[in-house]
Amino acid sequence: MNRQRVQSALLPVVAVLVAFLIGAIVVLADGKSPVRAAEAVIKGSMANRAAIGATLEKATPLILTGLAVIVGMKAGLFNIGAQGQLLLGSIMSAYVGYRLTVLPTVVHLPLALLAGVAFGAVPAFVVGVLKAYRGVHEVIATIMMNTILVNLTDWLAGGPWMQPDQAISKTPPIQASAEIPKVADLPVGFFLAVVMAFVVWFLLSRTTLGFELGTVGANRDAAHYAGMSVKGITVLAMTLSGALAGLGGAIETQGVVGRFEPGFNRGLGFDGITIALLAKVSPRAAIPAALLIGALRASSTQLQSIAQVAPEIVDVILAVALLLVAAPMIIRWALRLRNASGVEGVNLNTGWGS
Amino acid sequence: MRKTTGALAGLLALSMFAAACGGDDADTGSGSAETTAAGGATETTAAAMERGFQGDCASEEVFCIGLVTDVGKVDDKSFNQSAWEGAMQAAQELDGFADYIETVDSKDYETNIQSFIDKKADVVLTVGFALGEATTAAAKANPDTHFIGVDAFQGEVVPNLTGLVFNEDKAGFMAGALAGLLTETNVVGAVLGTDKVPPVVAFGKGWENGAKHTNPEVKAITTYHPGGLDVAFLDPTWGGQTAKQALDNNADVIFGAGGKTGNGALIEVAKKDGAYCVGVDTDQWETVPEAHPCLVTSAMKLIDDGVVELAAQVKDGSIEGGNYFGKVGLAPFHDFDSKLPADVKTEIEQIIADVDSGKLPTGVN
Repeated sequence: MNRQRVQSALLPVVAVLVAFLIGAIVVLADGKSPVRAAEAVIKGSMANRAAIGATLEKATPLILTGLAVIVGMKAGLFNIGAQGQLLLGSIMSAYVGYRLTVLPTVVHLPLALLAGVAFGAVPAFVVGVLKAYRGVHEVIATIMMNTILVNLTDWLAGGPWMQPDQAISKTPPIQASAEIPKVADLPVGFFLAVVMAFVVWFLLSRTTLGFELGTVGANRDAAHYAGMSVKGITVLAMTLSGALAGLGGAIETQGVVGRFEPGFNRGLGFDGITIALLAKVSPRAAIPAALLIGALRASSTQLQSIAQVAPEIVDVILAVALLLVAAPMIIRWALRLRNASGVEGVNLNTGWGS
Repeated sequence: MRKTTGALAGLLALSMFAAACGGDDADTGSGSAETTAAGGATETTAAAMERGFQGDCASEEVFCIGLVTDVGKVDDKSFNQSAWEGAMQAAQELDGFADYIETVDSKDYETNIQSFIDKKADVVLTVGFALGEATTAAAKANPDTHFIGVDAFQGEVVPNLTGLVFNEDKAGFMAGALAGLLTETNVVGAVLGTDKVPPVVAFGKGWENGAKHTNPEVKAITTYHPGGLDVAFLDPTWGGQTAKQALDNNADVIFGAGGKTGNGALIEVAKKDGAYCVGVDTDQWETVPEAHPCLVTSAMKLIDDGVVELAAQVKDGSIEGGNYFGKVGLAPFHDFDSKLPADVKTEIEQIIADVDSGKLPTGVN
């Protein structure tokens, strides 16, 4: 049993190593030096305190969107909408952050965070209700919701909430009382994200709710037969998922960007899917997975500056790693289908094509 | 056997999904084919001049130019590419070095600018309106480095920051005037990047006014990309679709202005017999060969010339803060030179001269 666990944990590590190897080959084929590229990644992501801070800063929202996707997957839901949920959370935290002017930090900061959490949860809640009571597939609903939310936030930031007397769509900067500080170059938001990872782990593996969530994810009919409220759990899981993504958006606004500006939160929600799969749907493993991606993303300047490597190499490495991690899951899923045709097997897959 | 095929298909789908989610969401589709072609193009230019700071930039004698793009690419065949070509040319003429960093994440503007300051670049060239704020902040913090902001209009004068700006309305007006003369359906179309960027709006309004100047009957269909700054210039699919809509609505001259989005429009128009298209920023005859069947000219901002000029001014110390207005104009007609009626050419030349001198106002402020 233990050995099996070690092996299972080893898979992502090996996948990442192989991905780096393939990345090195791609760099070499481009006529650049993989050694210098490695040097660039080290320099850009961990060589000094500022670099470490940059890595942690990039990893923070990724942990949370990763957790968002994980919570959904545990309940058999594939939340592709983390991006939209994060955007809405981000702009609402910015709004509370700049609009309220007389609050002390102890009230203002958590209030703005809470706004992000609540408004990240709202669109996810709608998707959950649609799924539970109307049978609308969450993949479709979240994709559509993403489009709505991207355009809604764009409009808000370029319209009613736009900073006056300048041309770029963005909200005014948040008040100092809503800013999440950095302590010695290290972003405090990161530690909040880490705490959340443990909270989610505890929730999923040590509480009744977590057990119910997992049961619904593994087999809806069995959960129903056991007297669980499948509909209620579905809505709750989705809402929780959106709340986590919204928190990620709020921390981005309050800890990194300092306002909402369209385009500044690009791709964070989608990276969450990568992280959930790299972490093999384990909340605590989302931390190293996010750190890895954060480190690579933080290196994009140095990759170009030191090694003259196109920053797209990061996406190549991540895609290869993801493919290697996901391939066994898919193959197992296909084999399982053969054994018990039609029955939803690994909970990861229930949301996919059905 | 069938199951295996299913698994493989799933694997493939997942890998495509990962690729799509990883980065440039908007830059898929027709964009990928372009990139390969462009890669070749940049390499040929780069052959003359090696990219990178290969000398001691901290030294007085060694002149180094660092370029930072917006979330765009130096091989975009228009805006960024033009600036990069200018930087390389300047480096060559001034016997110095040039290097670039492409911004992947908007949150990294500062980091990217800072990396060139750390490398002791003499000139930091930031390309695009969106970098304006980060550039101003960096200029104030680093008075010994000179900054050039392409398209960044300077409201207040910072002594070591020069905005390389253009009268896009003039270029748009010239192109529109030609379109007004060429159209047979009396409908002209414009497919533009976002209206959140003032120079794009100036292009669009100038184009409309120019077309109406030479052809009062003309109807102008002008469409701006609805997305944010992050995608508006990277969406050739939308550009193509929008150009097609304009064609379906009888437009027969289309202006594509907005990085890859505009390129998508040009390539779409090229598929239709008898329709004309007009490129933007650089002479796109050189950069988008797929558009040859329709590309009659391009509304040019001579960014490369402006960069070369300003870099030389930095080197000899004559540069001033504030704004520097670069030249605008129409690109050569190339294959259409023989096809355009002589009277059209005479008239457009007169208009170009009058707009250039300010005698003919564009009606855009």
